[in-house]
Amino acid sequence: MSPVTAGVVGIGLLLVLFLLRMPVGFAMGFVGVIGFAYLSDPGPALSLLAQDIFEQFSSYPLSVIPMFILMGTFAFASGISQRLYKTAYAWVGQLRGGLTIATVLACAGFAAICGSTAATAATMGKIALPEMRKYKYSDQLSLGAIAAGGNYFVTGQTAPARDKSRIYIKEL
Amino acid sequence: MAFLEKFESFNRRLSGWFEWMGLAGLLVMMVVTCLDVFGAKLFRHPVLGALDIVVLAQLVAVSFSIACALILGMHVSVEFFVTRLPLRIQALVEMVVSFFCLTFFVLIVWRLSMYGYSLQIGGEVSATIRIPLYPFAYGVAFAAIPVCLVFLANLLKSIDSVVKK
Repeated sequence: MSPVTAGVVGIGLLLVLFLLRMPVGFAMGFVGVIGFAYLSDPGPALSLLAQDIFEQFSSYPLSVIPMFILMGTFAFASGISQRLYKTAYAWVGQLRGGLTIATVLACAGFAAICGSTAATAATMGKIALPEMRKYKYSDQLSLGAIAAGGNYFVTGQTAPARDKSRIYIKEL
Repeated sequence: MAFLEKFESFNRRLSGWFEWMGLAGLLVMMVVTCLDVFGAKLFRHPVLGALDIVVLAQLVAVSFSIACALILGMHVSVEFFVTRLPLRIQALVEMVVSFFCLTFFVLIVWRLSMYGYSLQIGGEVSATIRIPLYPFAYGVAFAAIPVCLVFLANLLKSIDSVVKK
């Protein structure tokens, strides 16, 4: 099997494992190890597994994600988000989709400050989603607003797509 | 199945302890980052090796939280297909997936232990304040053990469901 064919088979296997409800991160790692072992040798594949886990878990650019999730949790637990949304609701709540407009603007402002879409998704998801649920907004619309607000207005670094999607899905 | 319930209860307790270690890692990240930023901006005296400490604390925070996140169902997975299948097939799918995940994490424990040993022999240290890296590799391997136990419990439970139904 050529490397290209192996890659296509690997993607197919990955999709099958996703559909079988295997956690996304584990499925990616599992298929990656099998693919690398097939294309080279099981020994280097297993060595790469350990090394890659160690390096990814200690990756400095990713340290922003747990810190922003923690910040979002503090903001949520202290009631800042509730007061913020009460204000936003009072200002634009009478418009159709008023809270969605407020969420997009808040995400845009936060993304412009921190420069990371992943951090915006983590923080604003924690703050905005419970409040939008309280006002009976659908999850699809709420998550769409958070994702769009963070992504369109980001000015600095962007995280890999997998991190963003992981965070958006996690908020569900 | 009394044994399985005891096993799951043990897993929950063990994962809870590991989660506290992960939380400690997260707090270390927060405190060191705050001290570093305030020290650098206000007193022109950043924390020496803050980056080393933050990444290693992150390693602890992430790896020691995996098992607890798994028990709480916080890992991202695609649900829409399997939930439409009959319960017996769902149990069968759960069995296969748990087996794959168990195999994967057993490999992780094994290879990370070997990686830790290679770091220990090579005397690998962090870049700035020269913290030895091998205890952290052993730590990640150790943190993957409760994940293996959780998947083993899931595997046994799904086998039990397949056999019973």
